[in-house]
Amino acid sequence: MTAKQRTGRVLIAVFAATVLVATACAPGGPTASPGPTGTAAASAKPDQGGRIIEGSTTDIASMQPALSNDTSSSRIINLIYDNIIQQDPKNGEPKPKMATFSASSDGLTYTFEMNAKANWSDGKPVIGEDFFTSVKIAGKSKKTVRKSNYQDIEGFKDYSDGKATTISGIKVDAANPKKWTVKMTKVSCPAILDLNTMAPLPTQVFGKYVTEASKDEIDTAPENTSPTVFSGAFKFKEWRKGDQVILSKNETYWQGTPNVDEFVYKVVANSTAVTNGLKTGELTFGSLAAKDLADVQTVDSVKITKYQALGYTFIGWNTLSPTATGLADKRVRQALAYGIDMDAVIKAVVFGEATKNVAHHVAVQWSFPKSPLEQYKYDKAKAETLLKDAGWVKGSDGILAKDGKKFSLTISTNSGNQERETLAQVAADQYKQLGIDAKARPEAFQGLVTKLTTGDQTLEATIIGWNLGGDVDPYSIWHSANVPNPATKVEGFGFTGFKDPAMDKAIEQGRNPTDGNCSTAARQANYETFNKILNEHQPYNFGYSNNVLAVSQKSLQNFNPASYSTIYNIHEWWIKK
Amino acid sequence: MRNFILRRLIYAIPTLIGVSIITFAIVRLSPGDPIRLFVFGQRDITGEDIERLREAYGLNKPIPMQYIDWLIAAVQLNFGQSFIYHQDAFQLLLSRVGNTLQLAVAALALQLVIGVPLGVIAALKRGSWADGLIRVFGVAGHAVPSFWLGLVLIIIFAVQLRWLPSVGILTVGKDAWDIADRFKHILLPAFVLSLTGIANYSRILRTETLDVLGQDFVRTAHAKGLHERTVVFVHALRNALIPVVTALGGILAGLVGGALVIEQVFSWPGVGQFTFQAAIAKDYPIIQAATMLVSVLLIVSYLLRDIAYAIVDPRIKAS
Repeated sequence: MTAKQRTGRVLIAVFAATVLVATACAPGGPTASPGPTGTAAASAKPDQGGRIIEGSTTDIASMQPALSNDTSSSRIINLIYDNIIQQDPKNGEPKPKMATFSASSDGLTYTFEMNAKANWSDGKPVIGEDFFTSVKIAGKSKKTVRKSNYQDIEGFKDYSDGKATTISGIKVDAANPKKWTVKMTKVSCPAILDLNTMAPLPTQVFGKYVTEASKDEIDTAPENTSPTVFSGAFKFKEWRKGDQVILSKNETYWQGTPNVDEFVYKVVANSTAVTNGLKTGELTFGSLAAKDLADVQTVDSVKITKYQALGYTFIGWNTLSPTATGLADKRVRQALAYGIDMDAVIKAVVFGEATKNVAHHVAVQWSFPKSPLEQYKYDKAKAETLLKDAGWVKGSDGILAKDGKKFSLTISTNSGNQERETLAQVAADQYKQLGIDAKARPEAFQGLVTKLTTGDQTLEATIIGWNLGGDVDPYSIWHSANVPNPATKVEGFGFTGFKDPAMDKAIEQGRNPTDGNCSTAARQANYETFNKILNEHQPYNFGYSNNVLAVSQKSLQNFNPASYSTIYNIHEWWIKK
Repeated sequence: MRNFILRRLIYAIPTLIGVSIITFAIVRLSPGDPIRLFVFGQRDITGEDIERLREAYGLNKPIPMQYIDWLIAAVQLNFGQSFIYHQDAFQLLLSRVGNTLQLAVAALALQLVIGVPLGVIAALKRGSWADGLIRVFGVAGHAVPSFWLGLVLIIIFAVQLRWLPSVGILTVGKDAWDIADRFKHILLPAFVLSLTGIANYSRILRTETLDVLGQDFVRTAHAKGLHERTVVFVHALRNALIPVVTALGGILAGLVGGALVIEQVFSWPGVGQFTFQAAIAKDYPIIQAATMLVSVLLIVSYLLRDIAYAIVDPRIKAS
């Protein structure tokens, strides 16, 4: 500590003592100082023991894969139940994890074989029946949101509707219980990751919830909140609700016993608390808000790892808006792309910690277009020309107008999200310079979601974000079948109202190819077309893709998070003593 | 007294029904739909899925019917299953009540232990520098936003000095019954939560003590030659404390309500933080159960005040 720092601390201490005379306590408090500031040393012999504490701002909701729909629950579920497949941490390509897989030549049948070493913490082997149990759970549950992931399995719908007692499309090999096949009703390229939605669950525990007689008891099963048998690197120990989830290492983990004794998922109130916890050493790792980066960079005891988030924040234009009619014109939307200095916006909104995005797929996805796309570099003159070409001319008040109607634009976003509120404000300010009467309007996320998915035409422009985990299939967001229509009560995420037959075809071929070819190369070709159409038509200003700022104590070794997973190698993590 | 308590408890029933109707209406009629929120961004979700979920969560019936169903169940203390946690809403709340009460009681104790002596000192030393300082503190206690003070104290005591923990109720890995560790965790949040109360009590006590000290019976006590300490603490203070007891009414419920902000700042896993998150997620059963719980606390708290009032001041009859 330098003399200056020491003086600073003394001054703070004096001030603190004055402020809190009534409750001051003796020094030597509880917070462990950060561990030794070692450097990553993958080759060194790992020290055994210790505890990893991850900081998060939300508690888990359930440890039942069928019922969980949030990142916190997924974190714990992924630590206690291993999946059959894992996505490459860097580009998302599906690879074998607990099971190998292959597809038949017609693309309709998948064959899986569980790793010979894969076992449950009670000593039983993980088998095909355990995969079957988890799919049956999705069928029996009334509160799950996972049914759609299994909808193309032959016989799943009948089972889910109670018309069949088993799922005809899943067959476990009688001679080799580690081997099983899944037959689909149609070729579906996302199927392999859809089938991986839920990890295999121990039949010896959950079998009783999927008998012929069982109904939806699984939705309230005590094992959902207090699981007993595990296939993952860690075992569940205790859930102190709203505070922490404690896991202990699985000594019999099939990939090797983890080096650390415990994993604790610590819930704190907000990103500031995560930052404080990382600075004090109370937390071992966590993600940082961009606003706190400069502050944390001055802390010697932590390491910062940056990687691109699997998603993006965008401004969606309602091309069907009856009030902002200009948005129906491609030239206007292009002008809105050229007319905003996104690089400056990124600096202003997220302190430069993001990458500009110009199409749907982001750079870390294998489907990211290889051929060059229009980058929409900031060009105010070009934006003004495009607006003029579209018939929008400035009036005496400096506001653009066409056929006597002024160009006004309300950019809505969810209130309470500081980043998006700032983005809305900055975007509105920049569009004002083009002569658009633009304003930002924050509103409650709950109400905004209903408006978006039901096609409420009062929304003109909306700032929101997509998380792109799982398969790259963009059907739910961009296929014309998902454009909401209040008249026909169709709901969906295609709230820009943008439709294009060529884009529909590319999406369909990337999802359900007529030639049955689901190779990444074949799909990539379709997504080139898809992204090119979006890039040209700009139904969104595709905004930016944030950097994830993962912070860990330097004592934590082998911590190498990537866009698709933070914990893929957790059994190899260790804490340098 | 027994009739009085009984009558007050009977009066509480229509109050609770009224609160439940208002909450039910506000929560259900505010914009947004928990199911759409739940499935937002979920790939390949269908209209059929949404309808099934709506039925599974009992949201497909007309709102008045939903209310009647809820009321019948609530009478049996069944507030339904949380939409998010898929567990009994009331049990989830109860698991957090202990944490909030811990904070509220600690704050209440600090309010009394610090606030009452400050008020008495200010009155006895009227016009002195101590009186001035206490009065400035009283104003500051009201004026300083608790979330701001909380954050400042965390930066000073946890991040810079490392004397106290920055988050939570217990250090990870410590035993749930480690009282010393819990004490270190509760110090800052309890102090911040108690600040307004300290300011309140010191102000009330100062005024009341000054008022009582000027009354005839105190002069008589002095004239009888009683010791100054006896006059102040036995004769004057007992009378001056009556308004403090009044102010105690609703204090517990007030503290539970005030704890919402403090729990957010200090990551304290209590009812306030939990309810706040439930409101964001539109988790109806939790919001409804929490409102009823706080209402009951408020009613009981006022009842206790009235009983205490009657005990402290014999002139008041429980009628």
